[in-house]
Amino acid sequence: MVTLYRPGDGPWYRLPTGWKTALLLVVVLAVCLLPPTWWAAGVMAAVCVACYAVPGIGLRELGRQAWAARWIVVVTLAGQLIFLDPEHAVANAARVTTAITLAGLLTLTTPATELLDTVERAMQPLARLGLDPQRAALTLSVTLSTLPVLARLARDVREAQLARGGGRSLRHFAMPYLVMVLKHADELGDALAVRGVR
Amino acid sequence: MRDDYRSSRRALDATDLARVAVMAATIAVLGLPGSFNVFGAVPITAQSLGVMLAGAILGPRLGALSVVVLLALTATGLPLLAGGRGGLGVFVGPSAGYAIGWIAAAFVIGLIVHATPYKPTVWRTALGVVVGGILVDYAFGIPVQSLVTRLPLGETALTSLVFVPGDLVKAVLATLVVVGLVRAYPRAFRRTWQPRKQRDTDDQVQAGR
Repeated sequence: MVTLYRPGDGPWYRLPTGWKTALLLVVVLAVCLLPPTWWAAGVMAAVCVACYAVPGIGLRELGRQAWAARWIVVVTLAGQLIFLDPEHAVANAARVTTAITLAGLLTLTTPATELLDTVERAMQPLARLGLDPQRAALTLSVTLSTLPVLARLARDVREAQLARGGGRSLRHFAMPYLVMVLKHADELGDALAVRGVR
Repeated sequence: MRDDYRSSRRALDATDLARVAVMAATIAVLGLPGSFNVFGAVPITAQSLGVMLAGAILGPRLGALSVVVLLALTATGLPLLAGGRGGLGVFVGPSAGYAIGWIAAAFVIGLIVHATPYKPTVWRTALGVVVGGILVDYAFGIPVQSLVTRLPLGETALTSLVFVPGDLVKAVLATLVVVGLVRAYPRAFRRTWQPRKQRDTDDQVQAGR
């Protein structure tokens, strides 16, 4: 599974995950509270550049992130321009872009496994509410390991469907796929039970 | 096999856990590139279909849980949403409400489809996927989109009308698939239904109950 993490080194990489998440959320929130004016759009662009122009990341990465979000930006801008004046439209689209690219910093500089561990640690207080953090972590990792299996299964079903001249109909794909997948789940459940998962 | 898992407040067993994992992964698989064509050549993302199926098949609690699992993995940076989207950015973007709303959508779909001790009919399933998969999801999605983009609520609702035809197509598909699954593979639901008519009893005998 390819994650959005890019290995590297720099201030963003060295910050502990919990603090990094909190810091980025505060910055995103602060950006969201700016009024919709031309100068606010400028401030947002400056914040983006400041956050990315540190050792280990670089402005090239900012460009890549913004490019990845291009359709969201285009759709937002188009919707806004129909109903609002250009100043509001541009400032609002800029805010959306800024929030997405800033939040992207977290996943860019933190490995998924580290984030999963942080999620598990953050869930510890919920144990008192009857939620089992270990079981939750197990569900996440079982899902993660099932993903490639199901993707392969989906491809097999699709190829069989095409070979029989079934075309690309979603309905004729979904039935055999779901039957196979749910049978797989029953086997997986048995395998987990044998290994001591109640 | 349990009689009715709506009333059970017990913890998940291993098979529940595996079923939640598998449906969460299915929602992700339905968003993979190389999308499906529904009517002619219109490519759509089938992820909301996955949410409808998760709620209808797993029931309210486990269905909602499978969406939570998918969103948690997405938040940790896996590109599991349609178009390879992922990471925390998903939850601050304009479509954040629709993604969060999937949790409630799967729950409501499960509630309606599993509302009675009898097999779900076509109309009850259709009602469930339309109310949960469209109305509930939009009820979360539109206000958040309006908040994020600061476009007033009414105008945002108007722009999101673009997605209604596609979602209706997915609701029809989900209904056909769920009803077909009830007939062809009742084990998928991991529960038993009370017989309503003589014909239903015969079906269950044939299914080996």
